Amino acid sequence: MTATVQDQIFEIIEEYAQIDAASIRLDSTIRDLGIASLDTIEILFDIEEHFDITLPELDPEFETDNVQRLIAIVTQAVDSNAQSSVATKH
Amino acid sequence: MHRVVITGMGAVSALGLGAAPLWRAMVEGRSGIRPLVSPDPEAVLRMQVGAQLPAFDPAQHFDDARLSLLDPISQFALVAAREAIAQSGIDFSTGDLGDRTATVIGTGVGGEASRDHQSRRLYRDNAKRIHPLSILRLMPNAPASHITIEHGLRGPAFGVTSACASSNHAITQAVAMLRTGLADAALAGGTDASFSLSGIRGWEAMRVVAPDTCRPFCKQRRGLVLGEGAGMLVLETLAHAQARGAVILAELAGTGMSADAVNIVAPSADGAARAIRAALQDAQLRPEQIGYINAHGTATIAADASETRAIHMAFGEHAKRLAVSGTKAIHGHALGASGTLEIVAAVGALREGVIPPTANFLDPDPACDLDYVPNTAREQRVDAVLSNSFAFGGLNAVLALRRFDG
Repeated sequence: MTATVQDQIFEIIEEYAQIDAASIRLDSTIRDLGIASLDTIEILFDIEEHFDITLPELDPEFETDNVQRLIAIVTQAVDSNAQSSVATKH
Repeated sequence: MHRVVITGMGAVSALGLGAAPLWRAMVEGRSGIRPLVSPDPEAVLRMQVGAQLPAFDPAQHFDDARLSLLDPISQFALVAAREAIAQSGIDFSTGDLGDRTATVIGTGVGGEASRDHQSRRLYRDNAKRIHPLSILRLMPNAPASHITIEHGLRGPAFGVTSACASSNHAITQAVAMLRTGLADAALAGGTDASFSLSGIRGWEAMRVVAPDTCRPFCKQRRGLVLGEGAGMLVLETLAHAQARGAVILAELAGTGMSADAVNIVAPSADGAARAIRAALQDAQLRPEQIGYINAHGTATIAADASETRAIHMAFGEHAKRLAVSGTKAIHGHALGASGTLEIVAAVGALREGVIPPTANFLDPDPACDLDYVPNTAREQRVDAVLSNSFAFGGLNAVLALRRFDG
C-alpha cells in the first residue's frame, strides 16, 4: 500500500516539477528538489484530487519536510478516508 | 509638464494578432464578427455572433509551466505588449529605464474564463477544492503584473477597471505619470476575454446584444456584439522618445474624464460631453481643430443616440463637419480592450490620412445625425482626433491625439 502511494506521489511530483522520479529520495525535501512554491501548491492540489483527501494546512511544513513525511501523511489520510467510508456503510 | 507620445502599438483581436491587420480591416470595413463559437456546446444561447479571436494557440506564445498561471486576459495582454515593445524599439535594460517605466493595464471584467471554469468545478461538479492558481489567474492586476515580470518594468504598476472605458482610463493614468515626471516610459492598454458561459449569459440577460451584427449609429442597429482581445501602447515623454531616436506614431495630447453620476446603465449625454470638453481643454485644442472622432459607438439604441447628443453639445456647429466612426462593427465590443484597439484607428487616421468607416451601416437614424463615414473609408488629412470611451456605470474617458510631424 505504502509503495503504491509513494509511486503515485512521485508520479505527481515528476509531472509538475519536471523531475525524474528516480532522482527523488525519501529524505529529499520539496525545497531540495528545487521545486518552486507555486509548483508545490499545484502538487499538493493534485495529490488531494488524486487521492480524494484533504491535507492539513501547515502540518507538516511541506516544503521543508521530507518526502517520506509527505507519504506518511497522505497514507494516513487515505486510510482514515477508507475507514470513514466503511463506517458510513453501517 | 512633459509632452507624451505613442511609439508602439500592439493588438490582439478578432482580426488576429497585430495592429496592422486590425487597421487594414478597419479601413476595408471588414468585420471580425462571426457566428459564435460557444464555450458550452450543450447550452442553447441567444447570443449568436461574436468578435472572437480566430485560432489563438497559447502554446505558440507561452511554455506549459507559464501557461498554468495565465488566464486569457494575461495571455492576450502579453502578446499585445510584445508587439508594442518591438515596434517602439525601446530597450528597458538601458540605464535605469526599467525603474522609470510604468505599467497600467485596464480590464473590465478580469479573469472571467478562470473564474467560470472553477465555478463549474465547485457548483456543478461538487469539487471540494478549486485550482490553487485560480486567484493568481483571475485577479484584475494579473495582466499588469505579468507584463512587468516579462519585461523587467519596475516602476509604478497597477490595474485599472472601468468596464468599457478601462483602456482609456489606464492610458490616462500612464499619461499623468509621464507628464509629471513619475516615469519616462509606460506600457498602457487594456484586455478582456469574456466568452465564458457566465459572461455570455450575463450579456444576454441585459438584452443589449445584437442578434445579427454590430451596426453603430444606423437605424437598424440592434445592440452590441461582444468581442475580446487586448490592446497595448508604449508611451514615452517626447524628450525620452527623441533622445533615443524613436519613431513617433502620434502625440497623446490630452485626456478628459468624467462620471455621469446619474444612472448605472443609462448613458448621460451631459457626462460624455463633459469628458470630451475636458480632453479638448487638456490638449489645448479648439473644437474645430478636431477632424475625426473614433466614437464609443456600441450600437445600442440608447448609447449611440446619447453619444451623438454629447458630440453636438461639445462641438456645437463643428459637430456636423466632423467625421465620426464606430469601429466596434469591426472588432466588436472587446470591453476593457476596446479603447486601445480604437487607438489603432485614431493613429491610423492621423498617420495615413484615411478615416476608417462605420461598417455594417444601412440607413441613417434621425437620432444619429452626424457624418458617420458609412461603409467606405475616406481619404482626408486630419491633424487631431478624439477617441471616446463611455462605460457602463457612467464612467467616461476621452483621449485626444495629435499628428506628430517632428
